[in-house]
Amino acid sequence: MKKILRDTCILSALMILCVFTVSIFWVGLTDEILLVLKLFLLSFIIAVGNHFLDEYLTLSLIAGYIVRYIAATAVVMLFGFIVGWFYPSNFWMAFLYVGIVLMLAFFIDELKTRKDIEFINSEIKNRENEIADGKTLNKQ
Amino acid sequence: MTVVIEYPEWDDAVAGLVRKIERLDISFMGRTDDSTVNIGIFDIYYIENVERKMFLYTKEQVYRLDGSMPELEKGIAETSLVRISRTCIMNTDHLREIRQIRNSHLEAVMDNDEKLIVSRKYLPDIKKMFKKGRV
Repeated sequence: MKKILRDTCILSALMILCVFTVSIFWVGLTDEILLVLKLFLLSFIIAVGNHFLDEYLTLSLIAGYIVRYIAATAVVMLFGFIVGWFYPSNFWMAFLYVGIVLMLAFFIDELKTRKDIEFINSEIKNRENEIADGKTLNKQ
Repeated sequence: MTVVIEYPEWDDAVAGLVRKIERLDISFMGRTDDSTVNIGIFDIYYIENVERKMFLYTKEQVYRLDGSMPELEKGIAETSLVRISRTCIMNTDHLREIRQIRNSHLEAVMDNDEKLIVSRKYLPDIKKMFKKGRV
């Protein structure tokens, strides 16, 4: 199910990007197309920032997400001000948007980590059992 | 050591198996103050980069290694060695358990009771190794 959801998201993003890119040639750079391209650019900047945070910070899950929240909000606010999404009266919305997205990511990440650890530990147990069985057979 | 593989026909699975067996032969030249030692892959517990110097840890010894982390990473494909953080490569042959400790940090416990910090970013890579049956 997880793979289907992930593939759906990736496919949707690709479809949107392709459709809107092709549309540029037919209808030019409309506001809608520009918005989509800006969103992709913002996602790219956040993904690059996230990559470097992962690479250079060894923090706990919660501390890591707090740093990400601050960094992502700063990027979204700055980007939003530059492209005209936010005004001084509604800049607080950046905190809300980023908070919702990160909250979801936090719970998914936590769940995934637990599952990965369970899988690895069970594989180690299986390996140990196989080695023990092999030793028993050798003795026989 | 001689390994004989019997197979009905040569396919990707057999080729993969041969590659894995060939990889068992990989060794590293570790240096101590007064000698240079050839260390087989199974004897390695982990390799750590400390202030741009590489150190190789076996069950009881520590050796200096030449080279850099990226160079080393290129040579460990298809082996039981996997990167677990920006500065550490672990041998999964000696991994006893991975656990989540306080503050949600991840820790790898080795079979000599040594504990290594695992970065969340690399957890999927460790899982992938076990999934592929490389370990």
